[in-house]
Amino acid sequence: MNLRRISFSWLTVFLMLALLTGCWDRTEMDELAFVMASGIDLADDGQVEVTLQIALPTGIPSSLTTGGKAKKPVLVVSAKGKDGMEALGKLQQQLSRRINLGHRGVFVFGEKYARNGIVEAVDTLLRSSESRFNSFILTSSGTTAKEILNSPYQLESIPSIGISNMQDNDFSFSVKTDKFIEMSASLEVSAVTGAIRTINKKTDSETFMIDKSAVYRKNKLVGFLSGKELKAFRLFKGNFNGMRFTVQMEPPKESYKGTVAIQLLQAKTKIRTRIRNGMPEIAVALKATAQIMANDTPTDFNKETNLHSLEKKFSEEMQKEMTSMISRTQNKFKADIVGFGREIHIEHPYFWKKAKSVWADLYTKVPVSVKVDITIERIGRTQAHPNVQAK
Amino acid sequence: MIRIKASPKRIDKRVTDLVHIAEEPLSDNLDDNEKVLQQIFSNCNDLIIRKLTLYKSTRCIAAYLDVLVDESLWNNGLLNPLVKQELEDFDNQGELFEQLKYRLASFVTPQVINNRKEAVQRIVSGDVVLFIESSNAALSFSIKDQLQRQLEEPSSEAVIRGPRIGFIEKLDVNMALIRQRIRTPQLKFEKVILGAASRTDIAIVYFEGKTPQKVVEEVRQRVSKIEMDSILESGYIEESISDHPYSPFPVMQTTQRPDVVSAALIEGKAAVLVDGSPIALVMPITYWYGFQTVEDYYMNFIFASFLRWLRFLFAFMALTLPSIYVAVTTFHSEMIPTGLALSLAAAREVVPFPAMVETLIMEITFDALREAGVRLPRPVGQTISIVGALVIGQAAVQAGIISAPIIIIVSLTGIASFLIPHPEMNQAVSMLRFPMVVCAGTFGLYGVSAAVIAILIHLTNLNSFGVPYLSPLAPLNPSELWDVLIRAPWKIMHKRQRRIRPKMELEEK
Repeated sequence: MNLRRISFSWLTVFLMLALLTGCWDRTEMDELAFVMASGIDLADDGQVEVTLQIALPTGIPSSLTTGGKAKKPVLVVSAKGKDGMEALGKLQQQLSRRINLGHRGVFVFGEKYARNGIVEAVDTLLRSSESRFNSFILTSSGTTAKEILNSPYQLESIPSIGISNMQDNDFSFSVKTDKFIEMSASLEVSAVTGAIRTINKKTDSETFMIDKSAVYRKNKLVGFLSGKELKAFRLFKGNFNGMRFTVQMEPPKESYKGTVAIQLLQAKTKIRTRIRNGMPEIAVALKATAQIMANDTPTDFNKETNLHSLEKKFSEEMQKEMTSMISRTQNKFKADIVGFGREIHIEHPYFWKKAKSVWADLYTKVPVSVKVDITIERIGRTQAHPNVQAK
Repeated sequence: MIRIKASPKRIDKRVTDLVHIAEEPLSDNLDDNEKVLQQIFSNCNDLIIRKLTLYKSTRCIAAYLDVLVDESLWNNGLLNPLVKQELEDFDNQGELFEQLKYRLASFVTPQVINNRKEAVQRIVSGDVVLFIESSNAALSFSIKDQLQRQLEEPSSEAVIRGPRIGFIEKLDVNMALIRQRIRTPQLKFEKVILGAASRTDIAIVYFEGKTPQKVVEEVRQRVSKIEMDSILESGYIEESISDHPYSPFPVMQTTQRPDVVSAALIEGKAAVLVDGSPIALVMPITYWYGFQTVEDYYMNFIFASFLRWLRFLFAFMALTLPSIYVAVTTFHSEMIPTGLALSLAAAREVVPFPAMVETLIMEITFDALREAGVRLPRPVGQTISIVGALVIGQAAVQAGIISAPIIIIVSLTGIASFLIPHPEMNQAVSMLRFPMVVCAGTFGLYGVSAAVIAILIHLTNLNSFGVPYLSPLAPLNPSELWDVLIRAPWKIMHKRQRRIRPKMELEEK
């Protein structure tokens, strides 16, 4: 009785497993081509070109392979096709291992492709079960995705791991796939990605660099933010870790340059919206604390009045930068990358119902006021340098 | 063991005759009795029949098996006093018996026997039987030779802190070891003799007032139903009285330690001791006893609780680690962190087998090595471990037949399974690994979870002498969890009045 019951239950389990499951996707790890990064470009002939950076496990140095010249640890292949899937199919025909996108950490849009619209690629990213939502989305700036994936990187054996580590840290502006898809599907906010470019081209030290962010409007690339604008944008996004600012406190003299540098410690952005005469108004208030990193002036910041004037100077400076960044997005990109639309949706849902279809155009006319309040909490070591003491 | 099936037809006539003769009562003729004994014990060279003359030249014979009888006790303790006995006059044999009984009681306790069958049984169990002229009764004296080994620490249940004494093959000694720990008349030993040929003494031990009567009654009943020719080890009993003999999981605890049995008795359990076996059976138990050791109760309770969780964790690993590895690498490679995935892929690059086959090969090899190590004498055992570690471990990886991660997984699994303190539970877990790996290799993590669920369903269906196997977790009894999930301090445990509540709705079979 008991034995029969046990064998029966095992048989049931096995039959259930065999008959009720859908996909049989057993593959050994040495039969897979792990795609570490992929890129999509628009070729000159109007076709789509897909580039894959595939890791070669045999090229990865391990304790077992001793001696001999180390192999290149990645393989970069590309193929053209009517769309991304066709190109991928062509790529599979030149590979002995199955393309596996499960470990793709980086996805790069070529600049030309992005300017023509990215809807098709976004749909594929959303639809495919293999692509992961925590890989980073980047846009190439001034170059193609193919070139980015082909450019070497010294610090990691696999360049795409270098890219994703750079993005993982707060050193650069980063957007992951899930966030990107959400942004590009939303009417409340315009999509942005980090932007990558190659530097030192045609030299031995050729490599890539992520120092910009790409702005999309209605799923087409419209431009890049860099330098101060990118900093201001990151402040809006709360992505300010270790961000530094330098201001000219005093006119430069022979013995000093007159600059002070601070590093942000904490920052909080508050966005308030108001509807006046059927027109939204936006007020942004940034409260931040900072510490002094460098002081190349004869001013002694131990004195409270000096500190206050420094705080004021910084506040004004940052306010100027943020306002100019907003006006640039309104006038040049016409893209609400900060996501004011979302705030309006939350605070004035009835207004938003009427406005959401025209928000992209309405945004350009919305007045935005920015108020910055910086408090310097730490001034570093209080021992002053000779210039201060001489006073 | 060779068993010759004794069908009634085959029993030859001589044996039937003997059985027939043995059934009869003793004759009052001394020569007749001797003749019958010679007949029954024909070809038994160890039978000694000595003729003696008692007071007033009463002839008598003493029959015994010299291999079982303590020679010096027999010569000095019994033979001398018997022969030199200054007996008073007696009119009939009855009076002689009374006198002998009382006078010899100071040396050994004589017992009166009336039939041949009993006489024969006394002789084979090591007694000296004294037949007296013109009497149809005999006296039996128990002067067994105490063949026994030293009391030693049981090597399979070693402790760092705790008593260093273990059971031996002698039932009386084992009983004494328990009695020394529980000094109360409430501790009961019920003796049963089982086995047609071996006539093994079995003791059912329980603590009156603590062990539930239903459990004792159930044990008694199940033991009495055993029909076997011989019982040479407690394993025979275990299988015969088990609730679930077809399950890989043990429903009785086996132990060689008197302190374990005593603790169990005080907790309200019953035990069965078998003569000739140093292993005692304790019942009922739950699944969680597989992860508790007696030392948990001797050491710091915080560390003991930590050890318990370590055992739970590693027992789970022992069951699932190889299958999870196989499932994840062959079905869900995206689940592995990228860096690890690349090194695993690099290690697998040269290996010709699929991960499942590779794992099965190494798991089987590991079990073979372990079994070889158990059976071999110690010096040869070392050779095995060297061959295992160097040849199979290192050389196979260098030759590219087996990938290094598999070696790590299998060794880790092996170590994990040794963390389960009870060998029966360990065997169950080690065996279930193989179907788990096959499930993982065919259906991925889906198969692994299905197999784990199947095992869980099986566990919930088990019970041990009326106690659900997963209790007190299923059915949930929060107040009992103090001794399952952690080892609570004695202060709490003492208050809590630990008691197993058997649900004695046993299925009638």
